[in-house]
Amino acid sequence: MSTKHSKNAEKFLQNKEMVKWHDQTLWMVRAKRDNMSRELPEWEHLRDMASAIKMYSNSHLDLLLQEFERNAHANGAHVYWAKDADEYCSIVYNILHAHSVKRFIKSKSMLAEECGLNEYLEEKGVEVVESDLGERILQLMHKKPSHIVMPAIHIKKEEIGELFVKEMGTEPGNNDQTYLTHAARRNLRRKFIEAEAAMTGANFAVASTGECVVCTNEGNADMGTSQPKLQITAFGMEKIVPDRESLGVFTRLLARSGTGQPITTYTSHYRKPRKGGELHIIIVDNGRSRILADKDHVMTLNCLRCGACMNTCPVYRRSGGYSYTYFIPGPIGINLGMLKASLHYFDNVSACSLCYSCQNVCPVKVDLADQIYRWRQKLDGLSVASSSKKIISGGMKTLMEHPHLFNFALRNASLVNGLPGWMVYNGLNDWGKEHDMPKFAKESFNEMWKKNKVK
Amino acid sequence: MSSREDILQSIRRNTQVRYERPDLSSLEKEAVTYPDKVRQFCEMMKLMGGRAIVVEKGDDVNEIVRRQYPDARRIASNLKAVVCGGKEQPLTCATFHPDDVENPGELDGTDLAIVDGQVGVCENGAVWVRQDVEQRAVYFISEALVLVLDRKNLVNNMHEAYKRIDTGEYGYGVFISGPSKTADIEQALVMGAHGARDVTVLLV
Repeated sequence: MSTKHSKNAEKFLQNKEMVKWHDQTLWMVRAKRDNMSRELPEWEHLRDMASAIKMYSNSHLDLLLQEFERNAHANGAHVYWAKDADEYCSIVYNILHAHSVKRFIKSKSMLAEECGLNEYLEEKGVEVVESDLGERILQLMHKKPSHIVMPAIHIKKEEIGELFVKEMGTEPGNNDQTYLTHAARRNLRRKFIEAEAAMTGANFAVASTGECVVCTNEGNADMGTSQPKLQITAFGMEKIVPDRESLGVFTRLLARSGTGQPITTYTSHYRKPRKGGELHIIIVDNGRSRILADKDHVMTLNCLRCGACMNTCPVYRRSGGYSYTYFIPGPIGINLGMLKASLHYFDNVSACSLCYSCQNVCPVKVDLADQIYRWRQKLDGLSVASSSKKIISGGMKTLMEHPHLFNFALRNASLVNGLPGWMVYNGLNDWGKEHDMPKFAKESFNEMWKKNKVK
Repeated sequence: MSSREDILQSIRRNTQVRYERPDLSSLEKEAVTYPDKVRQFCEMMKLMGGRAIVVEKGDDVNEIVRRQYPDARRIASNLKAVVCGGKEQPLTCATFHPDDVENPGELDGTDLAIVDGQVGVCENGAVWVRQDVEQRAVYFISEALVLVLDRKNLVNNMHEAYKRIDTGEYGYGVFISGPSKTADIEQALVMGAHGARDVTVLLV
C-alpha cells in the first residue's frame, strides 16, 4: 500500500539529522506564528473576516475582475486574460518578444511555477533570472522549491557555499549565511540593473483601485520593477479583493501566519506604469473557475499561499516537500493537486493524519483537513483506493458488526505484545515502520466494566 | 470568442452561492490600539531590525543623520527641509537629488537616502512611502534609508492606515518595515538581502 508519497518520504527519512532539523525549524516558525496571534485579542475575528471577504470575492469574481480591469485600464495598464498555462506563458513571451527582451528578472511567483513559465521562456531564448534568494539558489541548482514561502528550506548551507564558489566567486569553505547572502546581493544587483523587463506575481489585486499588491522581505520585487521600465504582473484570479479596506485585514494576517512576523518588510502597491514605461497585467484562470462549481472544495480558492498549513503539518515537517507529487506540498497542496488532476496526484491524499492542525492555523479558514477526508471517501470511486487498506477496512467492518468476534479479538490482542520483533516489524505491517507499535492492554475496557473495575 | 469572455462565462456558469460582503466595522473598532503610540512604534521598529529616533525640539536633524551614518558619502534626498516642532530645518546633509540621474542603475552605490514617510503603523513598524520622485529605485537600492515621519501621523493598526494612504500621481506606494531581510539560507536571519541594510525612522 506504499504511495509515492511514502516511498519518497523514506528517502527523506534516511538523513536523520536533516529530518530533525527540518521538523524543528518549521515547528519554530509555527511557534512564532502562535506568538503573533496571541498578541492580537481580535485574532479569531480577523480570521473570520478574512474568510468571509474571500467567500464574498470568490463568489463575485465576474464582477470584481471586470471592476479591476476597468480601473487598471484607467490607470494606464494593459490587461490580459489567460485561460490556461499555455496562454499565460505565450502572453508573457509575446510582451517580451515585442520589446526584444533578452534579459528578464523575476520575483517569486507560485503561478509561474504552476504554469512552467521559466522553462517555456528559456526554450525560446529568454534568460530568466529569479531574484528571491531561495529561488535563485534553486534555479542555479536546477531544483524545484520544497516549500511555497521558504523554497530552499531543504538545502544545507554547505551545498550553497559550494554552489556560490562556482557561480558567484565566493571563497571556498566560507559557508557563513551573512557572507553568502551578501555575495548574492552583489551578484544579483548587476542582474537587476541589466534587466530589460521585470515580472512579479501578486499577493492581492484590488478591484476598486486596479492596483496589484506584492509582499516581500527581500525587496526583490521592488528592485526589479524600479529598474527596467517594462513591468509584467500576473495573478491567479482568486487573488482579487474588493478594496483597500480588505487589504487592512489581509496584510495583518499574511506574514503573521506564514513566517511569524507582524508584516513583511515591503508591502508594495503598483497602480500605474512608471513614467514612460509600461505595465502589463495578466489575469489567469487555469482551472480556477472550474473549482467554483465544486462545493466540497471551493474554499481552496480562499488560500493566500502563506505556508502556515505546511509549517504546522506533522507529516510535511517529517517528510519534506519533495515527498509530495504536486508542486505545492503540504495540506493545501494535497487538495490543489486533487483538483488539478485527481488520478495523477491521489498519492498525496494519504499524507495526512487528520490531526486538523492545518485547519486551525489557516488565516482564511480553508477547511483543509475536511477536504482531505472527503477526497479519501472518493478514492474508491476513482478506482485508486489502496487494496490492502480496503481489505483491512473490510475486516474491521466484519469485526465491528459481530460483537462476539470483536470481543474474541480484543481478548487475544495482547498476545501480539509477546511476539518476537521480526513477526511484528516486517514488510507486511505498515504501522510498524518508523514507529513502535502500541502495547495492547491485557484486559479490555469491556471486561473491566463487567468486573466492576471501572470507577 | 475571446479568452476574456470564455473565462467570465465559465465563472458565471460555475458560481454557486453568492455570499454577502462582510461588515468590517466591528472588527475595525475592536482592533488593537496603543496608549503610547510613539513608544510602541519605537519598540516595533527595533523588533523589525530598524530603529526609530524621536527628534526633540531644538535637535539638529542633519547632525542626527551624520552621527548615525558617519561614513555615508553619497546621500540622496528630494527633501529641502524637515519640519520639526513647528520649525523648518533645511536639510543640508544630502549630496544629490535622486532625479539628477538619468538611469535608475546609476543610483547603485548610494550610501544613504533620506525620504518622506506619510503614515507610520504602530502594530508592525511599517511606514507608508508614497512615491514622490521619478526614480523610486532610490527607496530600495540605497545601502541605508532614513524615513522622516511626523509623529502625528502614527496610527494604531493597518485598518487605520488604509483609510489614510494613497498612491499619488505616480501611482505607487509601499509600506516599509525595517531593513530588507532574508532567512533563505538555513533560516538564519540576514539583513540586507536586496534593499536597504539599515533603516532609521526619524519621528519629528
